[in-house]
Amino acid sequence: MAKVAREMVERAGIDVDKLLELLIKNAAAELTTYYYYTILRANLIGLEGETIKEIAEIARIEDRNHFEALVPRIYELGGKLPNDMKEFHDMSACPPARLPEKLNAKEILKVLVEAERCAVRGYTQICNMTAGKDHRTYDLALAILNEEIEHESWFSEFLGEGPSGHFMRRGETSPFVSKFLK
Amino acid sequence: MKFYTLDMLKKYNGRNGNPSYIAFKGKIYDVSKSFLWKNGKHQALHSAGMDLTEALKKAPHGEDFIKRFPLIGYLKI
Repeated sequence: MAKVAREMVERAGIDVDKLLELLIKNAAAELTTYYYYTILRANLIGLEGETIKEIAEIARIEDRNHFEALVPRIYELGGKLPNDMKEFHDMSACPPARLPEKLNAKEILKVLVEAERCAVRGYTQICNMTAGKDHRTYDLALAILNEEIEHESWFSEFLGEGPSGHFMRRGETSPFVSKFLK
Repeated sequence: MKFYTLDMLKKYNGRNGNPSYIAFKGKIYDVSKSFLWKNGKHQALHSAGMDLTEALKKAPHGEDFIKRFPLIGYLKI
């Protein structure tokens, strides 16, 4: 634990235990999403599915990166991950992104976009809570938020809700979060 | 539809086998079946058995999220 770092956050007026609970819940959401996206990606087949498969894969890998980036901050602040994987799954900040009953690309896209929207809400909340008070958590949550917003806009574009406004990733994944992974 | 006072609502906090009810703008919603309201807690910040009308103003979602839940009564002031 980084004692002084935690003390600084507490003295800035943040309930660190509540913040930790939020960070752990969002870490759970990232790791479970990585798992569920693996299944969604595998089922993105055929002419329509193959079109979406690559962005689903990028979102899947970046969500795993988010989990990896969140874990050190949880321990720095004196928190820990649950020993029980099932407990971790069930405490997720977002509902499971399960394979839809009606199996087609559009239905899978709806699951993907809802998962990203849940993440956007979650990190917005953490940013709001830590802005100007816990600089390191804010910086991390903002980096993740940037990537979640891009994921949402990619899937949203495929659902016909309007242009995402940007291109696919070129080269490495996690352009915003990678600095926390080095 | 049943009427609940704030005091009556406290019991429906999702703990000890109790269902999870929340009040919003004078209406009572049952959130017991929601994945995001396990054990009567929501995102580490909110608890069932309370009036969340003010809290929603700071939430990263709108009231449409609450209106998806079954309406089971009204708040008696």
